[in-house]
Amino acid sequence: MNPVISRPLCGLLFTLLVIGLVPASAAEEPAYEESDFLNRVRRLTFEGRRAGEGYFSPDGNQLVFQSERYEGNPFFQIYLMDMMTGESRLVSPGPGKTTCAFIRPGAGDILFGSTHHDPESEALQRAELEARAAGEEKRYSWDYDPEMEIWVAAGDGSGLTRLTDVRGYDAEGSYSPDGEWIVFSSMRDAYNRELTEEEIKILEVNPAYFAEIYLMRADGTDQRRLTDAPGYDGGPFFSTDGSKIVWRRFDEEGLTADVWTMNVDGTDQYRVTDFGAMSWAPYEHPSGEYIFFASNKLGFSNFEVYIVDAAGLKEPVQVTYTDGFDGLPVPSPDGSKLVWTSTRHQGEGGQLYMGDWNHEAALEALERSPQRERPE
Amino acid sequence: MKERVNLRAICALAVLLAATPAIGATGSLESYVTYLTSDELEGRLTGSGGERMAADFIAGQLGELGAEPLPGQEEFKIPFEFTAGTNDGGTTLALKAAEVEREWSSVDSVQALSFSDNASVTGGVVFAGYGLVLPESQDFFYDSYTGLDVEGKIVLALRYFPEDMDQESRSKLARYSGLRYKALQARERGAKALLVVAGPRSPNAGEIVPMTFDTAVSGSGIIAASISGAVADQLFEHVADKTLEQAQASLDDGNPHVTGFEIPGFELTLDVKVERERRTGYNVVGMLAGTDPGGSDKPYVLLGAHYDHLGRGKNGNSLARAEEVGGIHYGADDNASGTAALLEAGARLVGMEHKRNVVLAFWSGEELGLLGSSAFLNGPDDEALLAVDTTAGYVNMDMVGRMKDNRLTVQAIGSSSVWPRLIEQSNVPVGFDIQTMEDPYLPTDSTAFNTASVPTLNLFTGSHEDYHRPSDTAEKINYEDLARVAQFGALVTYRLANMDQAPDFVNVTPKRQEGGSRDTLRAFTGTIPDYTTEVEGLRLSGVIEGGPAAEAGLQEGDIIVGFAGQEITNIYDYTYALEVVKIGEPVAVVFMREGERHEVTMTPTARD
Ligand SMILES: [Zn+2]
Repeated sequence: MNPVISRPLCGLLFTLLVIGLVPASAAEEPAYEESDFLNRVRRLTFEGRRAGEGYFSPDGNQLVFQSERYEGNPFFQIYLMDMMTGESRLVSPGPGKTTCAFIRPGAGDILFGSTHHDPESEALQRAELEARAAGEEKRYSWDYDPEMEIWVAAGDGSGLTRLTDVRGYDAEGSYSPDGEWIVFSSMRDAYNRELTEEEIKILEVNPAYFAEIYLMRADGTDQRRLTDAPGYDGGPFFSTDGSKIVWRRFDEEGLTADVWTMNVDGTDQYRVTDFGAMSWAPYEHPSGEYIFFASNKLGFSNFEVYIVDAAGLKEPVQVTYTDGFDGLPVPSPDGSKLVWTSTRHQGEGGQLYMGDWNHEAALEALERSPQRERPE
Repeated sequence: MKERVNLRAICALAVLLAATPAIGATGSLESYVTYLTSDELEGRLTGSGGERMAADFIAGQLGELGAEPLPGQEEFKIPFEFTAGTNDGGTTLALKAAEVEREWSSVDSVQALSFSDNASVTGGVVFAGYGLVLPESQDFFYDSYTGLDVEGKIVLALRYFPEDMDQESRSKLARYSGLRYKALQARERGAKALLVVAGPRSPNAGEIVPMTFDTAVSGSGIIAASISGAVADQLFEHVADKTLEQAQASLDDGNPHVTGFEIPGFELTLDVKVERERRTGYNVVGMLAGTDPGGSDKPYVLLGAHYDHLGRGKNGNSLARAEEVGGIHYGADDNASGTAALLEAGARLVGMEHKRNVVLAFWSGEELGLLGSSAFLNGPDDEALLAVDTTAGYVNMDMVGRMKDNRLTVQAIGSSSVWPRLIEQSNVPVGFDIQTMEDPYLPTDSTAFNTASVPTLNLFTGSHEDYHRPSDTAEKINYEDLARVAQFGALVTYRLANMDQAPDFVNVTPKRQEGGSRDTLRAFTGTIPDYTTEVEGLRLSGVIEGGPAAEAGLQEGDIIVGFAGQEITNIYDYTYALEVVKIGEPVAVVFMREGERHEVTMTPTARD
């Protein structure tokens, strides 16, 4: 490197970013640091404005994720990354909004929520692009499009098939370990019955209030409802042994959320976390010993990844400690890696990160973690 | 069509092979670095015997790889000529008035500026204040030549810029106060020559401007010299109503209505003699022929690294501490690391099928000012060895041997829209915690390619306290991760070489206005900026022991966000702020440490 040139005319090696949102008070020294749990942290995605929601194939060789990298479409599309070559291919059709993909064990099919069938979808894309050009992008523009339906396609995007077709947002689906069942979140309850006047008002400001967890067969038949509580129930995943479902439940106003577990028939609903903050995006470690989740316990816009023992008896342990958003944690099927979504690169949107996961350290930290006083 | 499918299949296999760490790579990397940093090679100064030995070694390795010389070349080694140093060859100044004649010939009185041509000129003298001209684009009027006719005259001007103006104005003027820029302004107005004096109210008052290392060749048409304060005072004896100090004082508040004046009563003859030592340096360039270069719109892809370093550090860019001065600057990280990684990447690329020709370029002269890469692109008679419009992209590796915490900085990604995808694909198998940076204007060879409108990328593992010091040694290299950098460089190059269409070139607007130069930077703070971290402010990767920053209590990891009342959001803000502080005058420094804001007082010292 040549310093003579660096000084007068080059060397702009900085771009702007917001210095951390972590409160300066060091009143509570954290007991751990990130490297206690995560090593060889790497950024997985670079192309496009943002990417997130990465989920592994059962053999760990592929990762399905959503990314804003489809030319002319300002919304997420679904991509499948080959973890050996680094190459990604488009799975979803291209137009419209998509979200929350998952790879079917055994078959390799990929389910995802999509609005591409909506004749309005291209107009919505244009409207979003125009709003962005005018600098009016909504800060958090997830709008629970009632046209969102769950679709499934082969890994190369062929054989696209629709699995849900009732009005109301249907998305956030994932397969059971045997690939025979899909658990998902739906807001159909806001459209399939007469709403009270109060409910009509709620639908306008907080449509997610109506979201409940549903179960269906992999072919879309036999759809049944598992939860019945006011507030957003979403993000459900099966446990590794297939016996439980873990999901997040918001309170009625949508201000706080907690991680819950239940049996696959909806019985034995059990609240695992109680930070009084937004604790969401749970996913079980394949050992079955603990659940990853993200929470803004440390500050409204400061999400970090935590782990909590499956029974929720111990105080959760914080595992990420980097400024910016860290959330949507998903372990690899062998439990040795963790993929999550982060803004730690200080970019305008989140991107996927992966690190080597130290399972032993996680178990030890949970072991040492104080017993929690549970209200119930 | 079938052929393409076949190629794809082969590609996937090649990537799979590339994804696995090469067996023995760490050992060969260590042996390359060890040889390049051996005492025998004496720091690989361009034009030295050590540089020649390094070039021979690299050429030997290229031969073993099975690379071939570039088309039209017999050898891997490609010579280029450069100016290795400048000395004053006996510059004189003679005054001839009606009654007196005087002559100065010692370098304490008059000395050439290192970029001057050799010539003898005679003319009357015009004092042009600070000799400053701001371009109209600056929205700030300042022109020392307003109302002055300097056609056919010798201009006498003050060094630096007005001393007592407000901070903001000083920062504007500072950018245009480089001596070369001042000399150019005088020449454009028809002046025969420029004489510069450091005014009594400025730093280095009355002192001759040292001849800096300057690789400029003669023929610029600029004739310029510096004179001592004593000589200037004698010229001012012919000014009826003021001394040099009074003239400077009237200019120092920046009043634009104070103009220069002709100094009557004598003629000066300035005879400038600059001795330029011409030497030969060697780029070492090999090619791995592609399978279908003719089928590509741009048939060449380059992967490069400079292999030269500072020798014993006598060319002005050494940061050796007092007890290290004159020692061999081994340059293990800078840039034996990149050189070794390039050889290793070349070995990997040999086994990977690529459509375009892959050129492995080992540059010399980088430390002296990107001489080798620039010569390669411009050629001795402006004839490039490789036409740039046949070059799809250039990937550079400079200082890649000190990886910490898995962090690799990938710079210049703003130069093409394809980089994010290529970086993503290449990094999935390798797995770095990559920080990307947009700006392609970097202090390394990739900048020469950017100037030639070639998309560039630079890999960098960060600066450190051994940077440009004899302590940058081989045992401090992280060979295991260096092997991964080589793997990553090979993968990016491989993907570039197989792209159906060459990447687009995005012309990034430089954020820095030209016109200044190093001789305007007067204050020394002893801060070492961290070039790898993107923060709002200036993060320090260290402070120089005993320097003003260290005295003030600043340390590694601190982020400077305010300096002398200026907000600091990046290194440019800092450089500007630094240009206008007064030496010896305490300034407030605001910085963040562990998320908390602190303020200290620092007293910049003079930079020598
Ligand atoms: Zn260097």
